Amino acid sequence: MKAIRVEHIGGPEVLQLVDVPIPQAKAAEAVVKVNVAGVNSIDTQFRDGRLRTPVPFIPGHEGAGVITAVGPQVKAVRGGDRVAWSGTLGSYAEYVAAPEEHLVPVPHSITDDQATAAMVHGLTAHYLVNDAHKLKAGETALVHAAAGGVGLLVVQMAHAIGARVIGTASSDEKAQLAREAGADAVIIFTRQDFEAEVKRLTAGKGVDVVYDGVGKATFEKNLNVMRLRGMLVLYGMSSGAVPPVDPAKLSEKGSLYMARTTLAHFTATREELLARTSALFAMIADGRLHMRIAKKYPLADAAQSHRDLEGRHFAGKLLLVP
Amino acid sequence: MKAIQVKQVGGPEAMQMVDLPVPEPKSNEAVIKLAASGVNFIDVYYREGRYKAPVPLIPGQEGAGEVVAVGRDVTSVKNGERVAWTAALGCYAEYAAVAADRLVRIPPGVSDQQAAATMLQGMTAHYLLYDTFPLKRGDTALVHAAAGGVGLLLVQMAHEIGARIIATVSTEEKAKLARGAGADEVILYTQQDFEAETKRLTDGKGVDVVYDSVGKTTFEKGLNLLRPRGMMVLFGGSSGAVPPFDPIILTQKGSLYLTRPSLGNYIATREELVSRSGAVFGMIAAGKLKLRIEHTYPLAEAQRAHRDLEGRKTTGKLLLIP
Repeated sequence: MKAIRVEHIGGPEVLQLVDVPIPQAKAAEAVVKVNVAGVNSIDTQFRDGRLRTPVPFIPGHEGAGVITAVGPQVKAVRGGDRVAWSGTLGSYAEYVAAPEEHLVPVPHSITDDQATAAMVHGLTAHYLVNDAHKLKAGETALVHAAAGGVGLLVVQMAHAIGARVIGTASSDEKAQLAREAGADAVIIFTRQDFEAEVKRLTAGKGVDVVYDGVGKATFEKNLNVMRLRGMLVLYGMSSGAVPPVDPAKLSEKGSLYMARTTLAHFTATREELLARTSALFAMIADGRLHMRIAKKYPLADAAQSHRDLEGRHFAGKLLLVP
Repeated sequence: MKAIQVKQVGGPEAMQMVDLPVPEPKSNEAVIKLAASGVNFIDVYYREGRYKAPVPLIPGQEGAGEVVAVGRDVTSVKNGERVAWTAALGCYAEYAAVAADRLVRIPPGVSDQQAAATMLQGMTAHYLLYDTFPLKRGDTALVHAAAGGVGLLLVQMAHEIGARIIATVSTEEKAKLARGAGADEVILYTQQDFEAETKRLTDGKGVDVVYDSVGKTTFEKGLNLLRPRGMMVLFGGSSGAVPPFDPIILTQKGSLYLTRPSLGNYIATREELVSRSGAVFGMIAAGKLKLRIEHTYPLAEAQRAHRDLEGRKTTGKLLLIP
């Protein structure tokens, strides 16, 4: 089968198209024909070694497709089932072997593109506003990268909850998308200091919560824009890892809370995973949640998709089609 | 008036008895004749310079006594009223000038000594359990220094709430006190590794929250003991401040929350101050909160009080009596 393989960690050019055997399902796995694979920030971090996994490896954690084979212990899914997944390394390929507990059923009412986009980004947005900090009507949330994959979904969900949403974005076009998604105010951080502007927008009080997948570039200022006892949910590091944090700072800046989260801890059981995907798929199916697909690339162009993701050229989800 | 003064930060000997003029109240202040002042670990931090304040300074952040003078603009308290407060510095003295909006009336059923013993530590236990991490019936909490000033109050309140309390202490005598206060399990960390023992006591699942005033020597193990999405509440550093750490550790250990609260941010408004102190006084008057005031020292023996506190010889509250 065709697959993208990383032999040595490095820049986008290390994503090479190769021909490898179709994987076999282990006892509790299923083999899935990949219709669509999602491109995520975390893929770039495995590719360049910021996150570690042994080489060679096939990147990609997410996709949608159809089951072609099941291992002998598999109970939750069957051959022919339409499924989506996140958390299974190896998705940039025509076929992937995935543990059955990662596979969620996809209803007829949504497309493979939508299902894929709903996995890593959708599940992340869902856990952020429902669990990491359960957002309430009337609260004010600062959403960084508000036109990004996760950002646009957090903005939509926060707006639906009735929170006031302040977003940050790098351009007018992205700001417009964030506004259309429901952001009440969007700060173009390349032109304005978001700290000063958030303080102005909140009359000096600060926001109740910051949802931040950016990391290093925004951390210090985030501590300055929260109200007393506010919450910083740090869920990613697209600008780089946050340097060591002195806990005394949290006290000094107002007895703040901080969480540093990852999706796995919010989809730890199949029950929790299915509860989230059911909620997401229902929102997508009835139009409450719009999945913005920015661009679809043939599998062979995976390197370009990483260049585009890292260059922040597009707003919305990038997909690979094997 | 007699007062304890620190001219240069240092060990207990840095505290010297001096004679100073009785303060005059500013327009928004009242002057109180102290019946008792509470000794707290934070006094040690100011005395030794770990927390910064201009010298010469009079230590002590907690007191109770009778109002003897009020400033021009003060209407909330009158001469002769019994009041208590926790405010920035100055309580190791016969008289103190305090902003009137920081004074709360001591109700009948609560003595001056009880008030002085619980303003700082009682309100600390209260905010930790009711606001920082609202502890619920059925939760499991790990409480360090469970026989200390805050510890014994925290254990009693947590027991009243119906949580399961795992306590750590250094001696058998302290273990008895912690058990008497309502701790379900007590670990002598001097004899046993509290991490291994807590894991065993929770069948490897971990605890929902860690209330940690010890800091440096307990922090990392505490993170290991939290269940996924649990919370580390770091409210002190008696073994030393927790040094800066890589926040990714919070992710690795289960997408954990961290907060470093301080009392001031939980009594920031007068409304909250009155409500919180009222709740604590109410518990004392109703007999629900037992105070151990075993160690009272004349003001002149402040040095001995600090040595005893730092030597971990004491349990419960230390008071200085002018």
